[in-house]
Amino acid sequence: MSEMNSERAEPNLTPLLDMVFQLITFFMLVINFKGASMDLSLKLPVLGSARPLDRQGKLEPLLLNIDAEGGVHCFGRLEEIQPLIDKEARLLKEQLKAAGEPVGGEFPVGVIIRADRAVPFHQLNHVIEVCQKAGYRQFSLSAMTRQETR
Amino acid sequence: MRRKRRRRDQGSVEMNLAAMLDMAFQLLTFFILTFRPAPVEGQLSLNLPPPVAVAVAKPEANDGNDNMGEAGLETLHLQVMANERGGVKQVILEASPVVQGEMNDANIQRLDKELRRIFGTKMIAFDRIQIAVERKLRYGELMKIIDVCTRQKTPDGKQMQKISFTELSAGGAAAASEAP
Repeated sequence: MSEMNSERAEPNLTPLLDMVFQLITFFMLVINFKGASMDLSLKLPVLGSARPLDRQGKLEPLLLNIDAEGGVHCFGRLEEIQPLIDKEARLLKEQLKAAGEPVGGEFPVGVIIRADRAVPFHQLNHVIEVCQKAGYRQFSLSAMTRQETR
Repeated sequence: MRRKRRRRDQGSVEMNLAAMLDMAFQLLTFFILTFRPAPVEGQLSLNLPPPVAVAVAKPEANDGNDNMGEAGLETLHLQVMANERGGVKQVILEASPVVQGEMNDANIQRLDKELRRIFGTKMIAFDRIQIAVERKLRYGELMKIIDVCTRQKTPDGKQMQKISFTELSAGGAAAASEAP
């Protein structure tokens, strides 16, 4: 009797481990790496006709978040628009040169603007003008495809 | 001795899974805590060339849409006036007011209908829309107008994507738009 009590009871952990690995796989598949570049606190305008961006080309578009006060955020940091665009344009030219693509004129890469719906037009226009002067022509204005419930 | 060894060999080998399970739970915790579902977002793709220098038509110079083609323009001009709250007060299409008040469904339809009528006219081939916007207009309201504009079809059957913006001063049309 005492011999039986001293035996260790070991539960079979294999099904539990299987389930945990399945959950890990799920989260790895749905992880949103672009989330870091998006300011999810912005209240975007709602447009039913907005469609997911059909991106062509190898180069990543530039993503700018504009808050309700007109501040430009890039990867969570508040940035001055002119130095930011100058730097991005310089890097893009270097990338294009390295890829053997023509540099100069219009950039083949677009700008995604995620602006709060309350931002006044003149602040948005200033951002667009700075981008245009640097050579950007393709713009994508982000909008929610349906009203947020939260 | 030999019998003993055989018995041991036949016994099942059980790995200690507790350590692996610990690690798996830590990974799972990390993924759960950092999980942020991607928002349901879409984009309006636009080709935004810099605005061209134009003299905005004054109402007294053009009393309707009928003689719009005289200038042979390929750029359609819209002006958007804002109210104090940053909403739309008035939308002027080539010097003719088409919308008064906020951009509700009825006004959106009215603007769409008017634009369709103009784009359906074969006499003038518009391939670009230039929108002069009062500076205090909120972006959310402007997007409703851009949305209507992008629904229009260019002469080659594609969706209108060439849109440029200029800034109107609070006074209105007189201060509009110059090229950089």
